[in-house]
Amino acid sequence: MNSLTQIPPGTQILIGAAARRRRAVERTIFSVFEGWSYEEIIPPMLDYFDVFVKGMGSELEDRIYRFIDREGNVLALRPEFTSLLAKMAATRLSGEPTPVRLSYSGEVLRFETPKGGQQREFAQMGVEHYGGAPATADVEVLLVCMEALEKLGVTDYQINLGSVDFFGGIVDSIDLPEEQIDQLKDLLSIKDQASLERMMAGLSFEKSRTDILLAIPHLTGGREVLARARQLVTNERSIGAIEHLENIYGIFEGLGLAERLTIDLGEVRGFNYYSGILFRVYVRDLGFEVASGGRYDGLPAQFGRDTPAVGFSFSLDRLEQIVDSKTFGADRHPAAGVDENSFEGAIRLRREGKRVRLC
Amino acid sequence: MIAIAKGRFLEPSLNLLRSAGIDFQENLAESRRLIFDSTDGRCRAILVKPMDAPTYVEYGAADMGIAGRDVILESQADLLQPLDLGFGKCKIAVAVPNRTRSDDELARTVVRVATKYPHITLEHFNAQGIAVEIIPLSGSIELAPLVGLADRIVDLVESGRTLVENGLEIVEVITESSARLIVNRASYQTKRKEIVQLVETLEGLV
Repeated sequence: MNSLTQIPPGTQILIGAAARRRRAVERTIFSVFEGWSYEEIIPPMLDYFDVFVKGMGSELEDRIYRFIDREGNVLALRPEFTSLLAKMAATRLSGEPTPVRLSYSGEVLRFETPKGGQQREFAQMGVEHYGGAPATADVEVLLVCMEALEKLGVTDYQINLGSVDFFGGIVDSIDLPEEQIDQLKDLLSIKDQASLERMMAGLSFEKSRTDILLAIPHLTGGREVLARARQLVTNERSIGAIEHLENIYGIFEGLGLAERLTIDLGEVRGFNYYSGILFRVYVRDLGFEVASGGRYDGLPAQFGRDTPAVGFSFSLDRLEQIVDSKTFGADRHPAAGVDENSFEGAIRLRREGKRVRLC
Repeated sequence: MIAIAKGRFLEPSLNLLRSAGIDFQENLAESRRLIFDSTDGRCRAILVKPMDAPTYVEYGAADMGIAGRDVILESQADLLQPLDLGFGKCKIAVAVPNRTRSDDELARTVVRVATKYPHITLEHFNAQGIAVEIIPLSGSIELAPLVGLADRIVDLVESGRTLVENGLEIVEVITESSARLIVNRASYQTKRKEIVQLVETLEGLV
C-alpha cells in the first residue's frame, strides 16, 4: 500500500460542487437553528475517552478512535456531539439561565463499516435543549427539525416517534436477567415476531405479560396506537410515556402537522443515554435515517448538573444525497469572473465586488 | 420493490406472493431479465443472489425481500424481519467426522473450521472461548474435514443426508433457519401503509 497517495478507509474529501453543497446545506440549517435562538458552540475535536463512554455506553466503546497522550491520559476523537455538549452545558454554561439552547456542526469519527453514504468520518449538525419542560421542549426540537427539512426542500419525510419509557416500564416490571433483556431488545428492534414468540414460549410468563411483549412490534401508526397501548399496560412509567406522546401528538394535530409523525412504541434502539422520547427521520427512497434524536435527562448529571435535555442531529452526508443539487451546491457568485493581469486591476475589481481571475 | 432470491427459495417465494395477489406475467425462473413488474403494476420484483438479498434491502434499493435467516445473520445487515415465511427450514450446525474423539479436539489449541458463514462461525466459537481458524469455502463444505483441510465444519443442514454420506455428524446446532420477510427500516416508515398491508396479508397465508 502506498500510504502517500491512498486515503485511509472511511475518510472522504469533498471537492467543488460537493464542498459547495456541504456549505450550502450547513448555512440553510444554521439559519433555521439561529431562527429558533440556538447558539452555536464549537467544541473540541477530542476529549477524554470517559466523556464519550458515559454517553454512548460501553456497547459503542470499541468504535471510538482513542489514543494515549503524553501524560498517559486516554483521549478520544469525538464520535458524537451530545456528550461533549452536555459536558459543556453542565460545566462552562452552568450559570446560564435555562433553557439553554445550543447548536453545532462538524465531523465525528466512528470505527464502523461505511454505510448509506456515511463514512467513518461523517458530518453531523444538530441542536441540544437543556433545562426546559419536556412537554414543550420535545415539541420545539421536533419543530426545528421539521423546519430545517422544509428549508432544505425535503418534503417526503416521516418522523418515527417513540419513547424508551414505554418499553422501560414494561422491563422494570419483569424479572429477567440482563442478557435476556438485551435479547428481547434485539428481537423487538428488528420486529422479529417469530423469534419473539419462540422466546416467550421458553419463558414462564403469565399470559398478559406475553401478550404485551408480542404486541410491541405492532404498536406503530397514528394516534390509535396510543389508545391500543394504553389497554395493554398498567405500570406508571409506560402510562406516563403514552400520556406524554399523546400530548405531543395532540399539539401536532393542532398545528396540522400530525401526518408527519408515526408513533412507534416498538422502537427500542438507541444510545444508552436516552431517557424519554426518541425519534428518527426517514425520507422516501433513502434507505437510511437522515436524523435522529431524543431526550437524555440523565446525561448532564453525569457531568455534575442535573438538568433535563433533549436534542437531535442531522446526518449531512445523507441529507446531501437528497437535496436538489441545483439549489444546493450551485456556484453562489452572481457573475462569471473577470480575467485580469495586473494586481492593481484585480484589487479594483474586487473592490467593485467582482470575481477576479488573475492570469 | 421486492428482492427475491434465486435458487431454492424462488419457487416457494413466487407461490406465496401469488397467493397474496402479486403475480408476474413472465416466468421469472426462466427469464434472463432481472427486473419484473407485477401483473397489476402494484409492485416490482428484482431477482438477486440469495447472499445479496439483505444488502439490497438494507440499502433501500429494494423495500423488502425474502431471504434465509442464515444469510441475514451472516450479512449482519440492519433490517426489520417481521415474518417467518415457514419454508426453507434448516439448521446451521457444527459437524465433525464420526471418528473424532474429544481428546483429539482438546489436543488442538486452535480449531480449524471450514464454512461459508465466517461471521456466524466466529461469533459462535468466540462466545464459547474457543479459538478458531476460519477456512472460508463457498460450497461442498463437507469435503474439508475428509481431506484434512479442517477439523470441523459449520454448514446449513436440511435433512442431514449429505453429512451422513460423508461420514460427518452434527455435534451442535447453532441456530434454526427459515425464509424470512425482510424490510428496509426507512421504507417501513415512509411506505408504511403498503408494507403493513402486505405483511398482514402474508401473515395470514403462512
